[in-house]
Amino acid sequence: MSEKSFTCSVITPERQVYESEVDSVVIPAHDGEMGILFNHAPLICKLGTGAMRVRKGNDQQAWFLDAGFVQVIENRVIVLAQRALRSDQIDRDQAEGMLAEARAMKVTDEISYRNKVHAQAVARAQLRITGK
Amino acid sequence: MARARAIVKRRRAAQNISKITRTMELIATARFQAAFNRATATKPYAEKLTELVEQLSRSRDDLEHPLLKINTESKRTVLLVITSNHGLCGGYNTSLLEAALEHINQREDAGEKVDLQVMGKKGIFYFKHLGRELAGSDTRFEDKPQFAEVEPIAQLLIDSYQRKQIDSAYVIYMRLLSAGIQRVHTMQLLPIERPTSEDRAGLREPSLQYEFTPPPEELLTELLPAAVKIRLFQCFNEAAVSEQVARMVAMKAATDAANDMIRLLSRQYNRARQAQITFELLDIVSGAEALQ
Repeated sequence: MSEKSFTCSVITPERQVYESEVDSVVIPAHDGEMGILFNHAPLICKLGTGAMRVRKGNDQQAWFLDAGFVQVIENRVIVLAQRALRSDQIDRDQAEGMLAEARAMKVTDEISYRNKVHAQAVARAQLRITGK
Repeated sequence: MARARAIVKRRRAAQNISKITRTMELIATARFQAAFNRATATKPYAEKLTELVEQLSRSRDDLEHPLLKINTESKRTVLLVITSNHGLCGGYNTSLLEAALEHINQREDAGEKVDLQVMGKKGIFYFKHLGRELAGSDTRFEDKPQFAEVEPIAQLLIDSYQRKQIDSAYVIYMRLLSAGIQRVHTMQLLPIERPTSEDRAGLREPSLQYEFTPPPEELLTELLPAAVKIRLFQCFNEAAVSEQVARMVAMKAATDAANDMIRLLSRQYNRARQAQITFELLDIVSGAEALQ
């Protein structure tokens, strides 16, 4: 691990699921992925649905995040997510099932359209993470 | 020996009861520990989220959001009562329901319609018995509330508040003040109370310039509902812990009472046995004396 490492923690409503010193973090921000390195400026940002990648030396970990926020302050990255799953906690078959289900969802109004898009995004993100 | 034997029977019954209540006390203790740990684990998320909301509201003074505005048009209010599914927990449910009734009466006197949502079998039965219609009820919540289960309830409330279908939403639950002390608490869930300037003064990092993406107004529309959800989730968690505490205390009291009873019955039994022996001895002695 280099000297320029910082703390990254992932907290869900139920508990803190991850905390570690890391070298870099890529988070799924609401408008695309965002990389965070040592000495990042203070930031409060909304998360989208997608994969967070954490690098620590040669070690890389992927997390699935959904609906949350991230705060960066003084070399601490705090991820608040309603749902956070590590790549090995995701069941690929289940994710495929979810995608099929999401595709079959009927759209009648704006809310159901949003739900469908979201369900698809969740399933696709999970598939992407487990695909590697 | 008739009287002495009857006492022995009663004593055995008391002993059996004390065994059962003692076991229930131990189970409640174990569950309390687990529920307490879970409730503590939810704190970091809630604290962080509150901090973010405060940071945001500090960055701009004039932030507006539908959940911060006070609705007055609909004359409807929602009351969510969190009771337990099981009994044998002392005055836990009684004091909750008493507070709920009082709250309902107050609101109805003020001319509002109260939509009642009750969690837990005990509360549901109580209000059914009173003949009150429930707007919603749920018995899923035991001592392990899941966020995914609580979230839809909060979302529904948020949606109807934003559509101005309700003026306010309250939650009545047993609040845990410390590991031993609990109080019935009525919490205002909606509208969200603005952080007062006093709260702001207590903040640690004074003036850090944050970069916000998306802009603060938009962030707030995401943050506030999340804050409401986590507050409700914490209510459920605290209620779960309190229920176990109440059961622990009630079962401890029951065990103690049973043990007192056992001691009393033992004394009575000994006395009765002694009386019997004395009586029989007297019988023999007086019989022998009569022969002389």
